[in-house]
Amino acid sequence: MEWAAKNLDFVLELSFNHLLISLAPLVLGSVFAFALVRFTPVKLTGTIGTTFSAIYAVPSLAIFVALPAIIGTSYLGPTNVVIALSVYVAASMFFSTRDAFSQVPKPTVFIARAQGLSPLQLFVHVELPLAIPGLIAGLRVAAASTVSMASIGAIVGVRNLGYLFLDGFQRKIPEEILTGLLAIFLIGIAMDIGLWALGKALTPWTSRSAQRV
Amino acid sequence: MFSIGELFDWLTDPENWTGRYGLANLFVEHLTLTLVSLAIAGLLAIPIGIAIGQSGRGETLVIAISSASRAIPTMGLMFALVMLMGVEFRQFAVVLALVGIAIPPILAGAYSGIKSIPIVIREGARAQGMTTLQQIRHVGLPLSAPSMVGGFKIAYLQVVSTVVLAPLVGLGGLGFGVIQGLALRDFAQLTGSALVIVLLSITGERLLARAQRTSHRRLTHSKIGR
Repeated sequence: MEWAAKNLDFVLELSFNHLLISLAPLVLGSVFAFALVRFTPVKLTGTIGTTFSAIYAVPSLAIFVALPAIIGTSYLGPTNVVIALSVYVAASMFFSTRDAFSQVPKPTVFIARAQGLSPLQLFVHVELPLAIPGLIAGLRVAAASTVSMASIGAIVGVRNLGYLFLDGFQRKIPEEILTGLLAIFLIGIAMDIGLWALGKALTPWTSRSAQRV
Repeated sequence: MFSIGELFDWLTDPENWTGRYGLANLFVEHLTLTLVSLAIAGLLAIPIGIAIGQSGRGETLVIAISSASRAIPTMGLMFALVMLMGVEFRQFAVVLALVGIAIPPILAGAYSGIKSIPIVIREGARAQGMTTLQQIRHVGLPLSAPSMVGGFKIAYLQVVSTVVLAPLVGLGGLGFGVIQGLALRDFAQLTGSALVIVLLSITGERLLARAQRTSHRRLTHSKIGR
């Protein structure tokens, strides 16, 4: 790993960009998926589901370069990549958000309503906390694939860790490619651990009941 | 700049469909690379998945492989293999990378398909005196078919999108038009090629999703017990 040590600053800069370009779609896509699950009529769920699984099938490079023709953005640069990755996150989070909320036990919701909770209170204090394990599980899957897919953005000129693959291949430096692989893997693991910890912190009752048993 | 008319002209120009780098040839290359890799991965992963599901040994391995594989960028894996094995063996290296990408989802599909068969049914088959091979042939395979097709569907999506990057290491496939279009700022070629890629991937996904539903329906509406 002599190459990585010599170019540490550069690798760190690319890693930081990589993290940013993965986090933005994760937030945007999840919010979008949540809004779709929450605010679209049940009748449309099937259509949205089919559309999302079709979009999910499209190779990311094809979306990166097809977006300019559809929405008129510039061919190069991070905008298309962030939009495309957000759509992928939304496509996968749509299903996990839907399942996470449908797993909330109906009796719990009825009791909360009978206790006089307003729809907003019901959502904040009952539905959302009980859906968190499912949401976190979905986010962990989405985060892993987003972090690895973001590297393809380097082909359309985004300066992230994917650049190490292109540059390493052109300049015939295997260490550079391996550094990129390792760095992306580490970012993925770090995000996974972060989300797991977030899930634990947001659902303290799960660990407390586990201790009692 | 670029317009829909230009895209239409590019797609309807026969010159863009024929020859070594014509869409027809690139399409065949793309599909061949995908199917060959999926077939090799299936031959390796299906028996292993069945064995693990049946015996219950090595389960943690399957889970570890499938969650670790998601965090590895397919692009980097392909580039690293071509680089390490040498550019002259790039065809072999790319297929190897694609097989490596396809194995985890197929393995997970086969394993969880067998695993999700109710223990009563598996024990029932054994109690009837079926040999292990008969159990797999008459009980395991039919009942886990939907899950196995599901694994192939995920593998297909991963492999088709990775083949798009094959031109970067000197192979063909439909990505050629995208990479060349980006380099030459030929936006009609770029968008036209992307469109064909979209058609290929969505058609395959729809076909496999339908196969998954059919195999599932065959189970729930089977003549058994009627």
